[in-house]
Amino acid sequence: MSIGTRLLTMLNGEFVGEDAHGNKYYQERTKRLSNPLYRRKRWVMYKGKAEGSKVPAEWHAWLHYTNDTPLNARSKAWEQPHKPNLTGTLGAYVPKGDDRAGGTRAASTGDYQAWRP
Amino acid sequence: MPKLTIDGIEVEVPAGTTVLQAAEILGIEIPRFCYHERLSIAGNCRMCLVEVKPGPPKPAASCAMPVAEGMDVRTDSEMARKARKGVMEFLLINHPLDCPICDQGGECDLQDEAMTFGNDHSRYGEMKRSVTEKEMGPLVKTAMTRCIHCTRCVRFTTEVAGVPEMGMLGRGEHAEITTYLEQALDSELSGNVVDLCPVGALTSRPYAFTARPWELRKTESIDVLDALGTNVRIDVRSGQVLRILPRLNEAVNEEWLADKSRHAMDGLRQQRLDTPYVRKDGQLVPASWEEAFAAIRAKVAGLDGSRIAAIAGDQADCEAMTALKDLMGVLGSTNLDCRQDGAKLDPTVRAGYLFNSTVEGIESADALLLVGSDPRWEAPVLNARIRKRYLAGGFKAGRIGPAGRDLTYPVEELGVDPSVLIEIAEGRHPFAEVLKAAKTPMIILGMGALTRTDGAAILAAARKVADTTGMVTEGWNGFSVLHTAAARVGGLDLGFVPGSGGLDTRGIQAGCASGAVEVLYLLGADEIDTNALGKAFVIYQGSHGDAGAHRADVILPGLAYTEKEATYVNTEGRPQRTKVAGFGPGEAKEDWKIIRALSGALDKTLPLDSVHQVRARMAEINPVLGTMNAVTPAAWEAFGTEGPVDTAAFTTAIANYYMTCPISRASPTMAECTRVFINGNQERTGTDG
Ligand code: SF4
Ligand code: FES
Repeated sequence: MSIGTRLLTMLNGEFVGEDAHGNKYYQERTKRLSNPLYRRKRWVMYKGKAEGSKVPAEWHAWLHYTNDTPLNARSKAWEQPHKPNLTGTLGAYVPKGDDRAGGTRAASTGDYQAWRP
Repeated sequence: MPKLTIDGIEVEVPAGTTVLQAAEILGIEIPRFCYHERLSIAGNCRMCLVEVKPGPPKPAASCAMPVAEGMDVRTDSEMARKARKGVMEFLLINHPLDCPICDQGGECDLQDEAMTFGNDHSRYGEMKRSVTEKEMGPLVKTAMTRCIHCTRCVRFTTEVAGVPEMGMLGRGEHAEITTYLEQALDSELSGNVVDLCPVGALTSRPYAFTARPWELRKTESIDVLDALGTNVRIDVRSGQVLRILPRLNEAVNEEWLADKSRHAMDGLRQQRLDTPYVRKDGQLVPASWEEAFAAIRAKVAGLDGSRIAAIAGDQADCEAMTALKDLMGVLGSTNLDCRQDGAKLDPTVRAGYLFNSTVEGIESADALLLVGSDPRWEAPVLNARIRKRYLAGGFKAGRIGPAGRDLTYPVEELGVDPSVLIEIAEGRHPFAEVLKAAKTPMIILGMGALTRTDGAAILAAARKVADTTGMVTEGWNGFSVLHTAAARVGGLDLGFVPGSGGLDTRGIQAGCASGAVEVLYLLGADEIDTNALGKAFVIYQGSHGDAGAHRADVILPGLAYTEKEATYVNTEGRPQRTKVAGFGPGEAKEDWKIIRALSGALDKTLPLDSVHQVRARMAEINPVLGTMNAVTPAAWEAFGTEGPVDTAAFTTAIANYYMTCPISRASPTMAECTRVFINGNQERTGTDG
């Protein structure tokens, strides 16, 4: 987080909430009522490394002005907990045929059945 | 020669030509569905409508209209276009328009023509007619709702294949193309109806829903599953052969392909040898090339040449046989044979083992004597040529050999044993008169007659028949040997036969059993009795784990014919070359390279470092192998040994058409064909189709 963002948060930030991962969300304290179209700036202070995919869906909607308030987290039974992008970590996706995933790929053209005595 | 104008261009063509053919000469393509140059003219699709003047003011079907003097034909006039649009609209009334799920998509005549003459919408709101699928056996899949009733398939099966098993039942909207008894098409040429069908009504069952034509890489090659050397196109995706289609060659196969050659290619993925093996303590274990060569070296080093032998199989290519012959030469062995079936062919006289009349020549023969041969199974496409000749009229055929199988043309059954042949040779048999009276008589001598122990005497008797009935004249040689193996003529041309004092196939087998031969090299030879090889050290080089591999002590994995560029000589003596369509499995290598590498490991390095050197060596052994795709006529010299003949009846060379080589034996499709056609098991289980 840059010094600028920290300073902005300190001087003009209004704390809105915190998600399950510990990321904190702020918006501008100033309300410019003279301009009815003015939208208050919204931002996130990440916990740990700054990484866009850490923002869960419910806060994503608020952050991008889709909603005025954050959505209810996990309001439906089928909703999965949010996972950030796992690329480069051990949890990264590997296709079925990859050795790390067992190495059994689906049959494809070019396969042959070898003779074994 | 009538003169006519087509689209303003004047052309003179022989009388009897149709307008469609005349336009083709000019390079003007008239759309057509039912017309096919090798079938009779039906004139029932009406797609080929053109405007013809003078005449009634209506469009005329150009495929069925003979040209006349002074005709003025318009193929692209407003009237012709409108007429074709109308025809297309009619054709599509009941067509399901299911291109996305149709196997013909991308190579469909109807699809193509609809791009030009189709409407963007239909004017019919009624339900489409639907037709149930017809059972046509394990090779042809039907979707009869798509049929446009061009009757090409009916005409093909009746005229070319000679099995009148298909027809059109009903009329008008209720017309349906069907096999009358809803049974598998009993023809070895049935796959061709799939090529002929202009729409997706008849498609290939084994190939169903596998690929689209634009995904395939096409390679023009040669088929080696019978001795005819059919020209084929091999369609490959990701290195896997997905289908094989015929290629046009008027001199060999016209545009037909036999079912085994077309559908056995799924055997190329089964039972493949993909790594060398060495037998250790009675068990074959995977090994590296070095280990395999070391095992051979340990056995061969210091061994006298006379105790080493080699047999080349039915699909051995000329390059490999050249290398192996030279290797046996430097090892000092003369025990080599390319006739694994033990045929008593005389390798010294080329005319004595060729199909001298040539395949095209069949069409000018007027009498035919079949001896111990069943061309319908041994070379189905060649048999179609004989039928074509029969249909042209003025042709008489006789057969010595097992009666029973319908050859698709009438044959006079002359007897089953060689005594009849002797009688004809001595002029004591009425059929001798038939042959003498004929201007261009021919004899087809099959392997059923030559693989017997008295084969040499039968060869001599057949030669005598040829001599006494005037089969060999200036410009005509009717003496024809029909081989069953693609490698045979090439092997004989290369002299892959016993040298002086050498053993032939039978001698080698006896030698192995008795211990006189200690090392046996099998170059793809699986059709010999591998259980009777005694204690011999067997080296098997080939592509499939078949009989030879089971018996082998060292296995060297070679390539199949779709994976190497190799020369094969067909039964007429026409050298042709296959092309690389896909790569071989695992460690498998090109066959001549294996032998060359082995010669290095044995410290007897052959001077064959590139394929050019191998081919140069081939041409040095026999100059005929230097000219590709051409038949070099052979001089008529003395061959065969006269002697007493057995009275035993001839047998057929092939017991099961669908399984004759390691590839077809490994093929699931061929196994299914065997179940249906050979074992007569027509019922399909609930799960298939
Ligand atoms: S099945 Fe195909 S070849 Fe046969 S009549 Fe119908 S469209 Fe023609
Ligand atoms: S091609 Fe002429 S009517 Fe079919």
